[in-house]
Amino acid sequence: MNYSALFIQLLPEAVLVITALLLLGVAVAIEAKTQRPMPIDLTIVISAMGIAAACAALCYCPANLESGTTLLAMDPLARIFKAVVLMLGLLAVLLPPARNEIKQPGEFHALLLFALTGLLLTVGTVNLLFLFVALELASLSLYLLAGFSRSAKAAEAALKYFLFGGVSAAFFLFGLSLIYGFCHTLMLPDIAAKLATGPLPAYAVVGLVMGVVGLGFKLAAAPFHYWAPDVYEGAPATSVGLIAAASKAVGVLVLVRLLLTGFALAGGSAAWGAMQPGWSLWLGVLAAVSMVFGNVLALAQTSMRRLLAYSAVANTGYLLVALAANGTMAAGSALFYVVVYGLATFGALAVTAAVERDRGDDSLGSFAGLVHRSPLQALALLVFLTSLAGIPPLAGFVGKFVMFSAAMAETTTHGTPGLTWLVGLAAIMSAISLYYYLMVLKQAFVREAADPAPVAMSTSHRLAVLVPAVLVVGLGLFPALLLSPLAAALKATPGLGKQPTQSPPCNRQLRTN
Amino acid sequence: MTPAWTLISAFAGALLVLLLPARAAGLARVIALAASIIGAVAAAAACLTKLQRLDAPAWSFDKPWIPELGIRFHLAADGLSLTLLLLTGLVAIAGVLFSWNVETRPRAFFAFFMTIIGGVYGVFLSRDGFLLFVFYEIVILPKYMLIAIWGSTNREYGAMKLTLYSIGSSALILIGLIVAYAASGGTSFDLNDLASFKYAPALQYWAFPILFLGFAVLAGMWPFHTWAPTGHVAAPTAASMLLAGVVMKLGAYGALCVAMPLFPQGFVEWRLVIAGLAVIGLIYGALTALQQKDLKFVIGYSSVSHMGLILLGLATATHWGLRGAVLQMISHGIIAGLLFGIAGRVVYARTHTRDFSALREFDLWRTLPGAAVAFTVATAASMGLPGFSGFVAEVAVVIGVWHSYPWLLLPVAVGLIVTGAFSLRAMHRAFFPERHALAAPAPPLPPLTWPEISAIALLSIFSLAIGIYPLPWVTLIDDGLRSPLFQSILSLP
Repeated sequence: MNYSALFIQLLPEAVLVITALLLLGVAVAIEAKTQRPMPIDLTIVISAMGIAAACAALCYCPANLESGTTLLAMDPLARIFKAVVLMLGLLAVLLPPARNEIKQPGEFHALLLFALTGLLLTVGTVNLLFLFVALELASLSLYLLAGFSRSAKAAEAALKYFLFGGVSAAFFLFGLSLIYGFCHTLMLPDIAAKLATGPLPAYAVVGLVMGVVGLGFKLAAAPFHYWAPDVYEGAPATSVGLIAAASKAVGVLVLVRLLLTGFALAGGSAAWGAMQPGWSLWLGVLAAVSMVFGNVLALAQTSMRRLLAYSAVANTGYLLVALAANGTMAAGSALFYVVVYGLATFGALAVTAAVERDRGDDSLGSFAGLVHRSPLQALALLVFLTSLAGIPPLAGFVGKFVMFSAAMAETTTHGTPGLTWLVGLAAIMSAISLYYYLMVLKQAFVREAADPAPVAMSTSHRLAVLVPAVLVVGLGLFPALLLSPLAAALKATPGLGKQPTQSPPCNRQLRTN
Repeated sequence: MTPAWTLISAFAGALLVLLLPARAAGLARVIALAASIIGAVAAAAACLTKLQRLDAPAWSFDKPWIPELGIRFHLAADGLSLTLLLLTGLVAIAGVLFSWNVETRPRAFFAFFMTIIGGVYGVFLSRDGFLLFVFYEIVILPKYMLIAIWGSTNREYGAMKLTLYSIGSSALILIGLIVAYAASGGTSFDLNDLASFKYAPALQYWAFPILFLGFAVLAGMWPFHTWAPTGHVAAPTAASMLLAGVVMKLGAYGALCVAMPLFPQGFVEWRLVIAGLAVIGLIYGALTALQQKDLKFVIGYSSVSHMGLILLGLATATHWGLRGAVLQMISHGIIAGLLFGIAGRVVYARTHTRDFSALREFDLWRTLPGAAVAFTVATAASMGLPGFSGFVAEVAVVIGVWHSYPWLLLPVAVGLIVTGAFSLRAMHRAFFPERHALAAPAPPLPPLTWPEISAIALLSIFSLAIGIYPLPWVTLIDDGLRSPLFQSILSLP
């Protein structure tokens, strides 16, 4: 591959980097000239335009289907997910940081664009080393974004995030080295081919465990979630939005690529009565622990941000249920769910940020009477939280339903219970989660406001609330718009969807018409 | 007019109400009434058309929705669905009329109200498991909001309890549906496809109770009924009417049309347990109602008792039993709507108490004779006096019980006698109290308003019409019971 082809392949990332550099230059120039930091509206406009341009560039990227042999993959999956990441990033840009929080908006948004670049690169590769480097680019930017506001809480958040993230990166890298020691290759399809010749030796199993642990940190799966509540509480809302939505979506995609492309044969089984050692079983256990831990702890929260953090842990659990099925459709629905989850949780954060700036804190009580103060925001909050709780006709409900159905259908053969234990736990935990979401909605809709003045919000902040709300409703009514392309992309991805012999794919004779 | 208009009118009404500008908030009730009438008329028209040509194919609408999982947007209406749609339409009209005076946040109130109606219509029309579940769950949040915002006694507690019971039971339904889907090969969520698959008996044995319990909680099966009285009492009048009148019927309908046809062998294994719990609920609800001091609690527990009769009809697995169960769904829907309407709107809004000892001072049969007459009619219907719908339904269920569990007739008879006792007691205590001859005359109360009178008349007329001439209703229900879904149940040994 020559350099011009490489550049075209990386056009979206290049556009983002150029925008970030431009932003830094403009920020310095303005600050030198006016002795004041760059106005936040300008940085938002420039960053948003950069991301829009990157989206446009994404359409012109040629498909690169030989992703098995090259460093950069541009398969349909990568294309869809790059678009998703860019959209979630755009939303994060639209959500402005609080006025007193960020002193240098130019640098802040430049870092945000660098983080997005890292995430985009992570999406488009099946080479483990490249994956690690891209993930670190994203992570390092995210650590900085978490601690950007220089308050004590933000510093604590950033430090915890950095320490946990650093340890997880070390785990991940060490795991990769062990895997390399066994396979002598870093390309996931080659690893799959190597795996077909014989079982994993013990040290490579250790390597895979470490890889899963590393990604578990990223996804805030219990018991690796301890950073999440503090980061969600202390970091600027914009950074939390990026961490909760885009970063999590990419984490799930990496897990899908790593496990289903590379190690599908080492999956074992988490099916009841037929458990076999393998990553399916590990994910099953992680899923159960995350769901129970996240939901139970969320019940006791009085701070909205911490509540969303524990809800993030719980939702990672639901996602891992689908991934534990080790099936293409289940993975496709997990990818669908992580997108709609990201939209909903981001939207809830955006509303929280608005209320928090108005009221000074994010306790549940500060939401009191929101429906009288800002009816549209209250309605959006209703959409987000009920989507997270899995109430139809919203996207979160469809996502959960599809995930659980696919996970069951792909693990149940000839009437065996399959993943019923995990799906049953997930359904019950999801029902419990309605309680804490309702506690928020009760404040917003049932209680009276002490001060009936509307919540002040900038235009871009309004967009950051309304766009996800529309998408959550739209994807709930027409889920096939995103689910079908994702399922088709997963089927078309080389290596994915070719199921190992020990867990045969179910016969999916779809009704045509 | 196709039955789809029920669904469309309800959701369009909800949306329209929500979009009304603040200064036109008074229009909300008019729009809600119009939407309810359109829905009821559409259901009635469909019923009449169906009666004229019983052999005509059932109306249906079928489009792919999530093709990857074989989920389809499949609506269809047979006779059974049509009767329940008509019931929903009637209760909706009466509910709007009884809420004519809602002044606080009327737009939100009627938007939530119409959303519940739409969800109920949707459940009765759905022929796809996913779609049915969507409509089933749409109802949950508006229920919470209606009770928590506009409710009375202990409203936040009652609303949360009811909501948690609802969502918990729907988690069970979700598990049951997904198990059926996965075990049948994971190709289709269509209820007919799911029901035509022969599941392994072992799977049916554990999957049936999960799915059935999910529906039965909403139907108020003892000992999972405790949400019903607290929820009904806490709810505003229209919400109590909806909850007892139609939302509880969703549970019974789901048990009949989803749980039982999907796992018929599991049903055989468990039906004696169901029958036992149903009879306990019948007697327990009646005995508890006998001891209440609050008029609305009496009606709340009477719902538990009457729902027990429905579940008993289902458990008989005979044609008469199922027919009786559906008739009782319709009959109880109308009567519970009437009772809650009178107790909650007509009496409570004027006296601000529902306590029997306090009501005594109001001397209601002198100060509010219209309400006393209406309540007497409703009580007679609720007790199952001949000439009212309750009688027809009870007779049908009892015939079913006679065919399958004749020895259960004794406790059923006890339950029905206690039902008579608590109904008479409540009527007597609330409306015809014995007052001391020297007691001060009761303060005058405002007379019944036109919306109240029309709602009472509408429901009473339908209860009487079913009681006097049940044939068309039975014909429609039998049309539904002829569906292949029920063949496996009705052909049971």
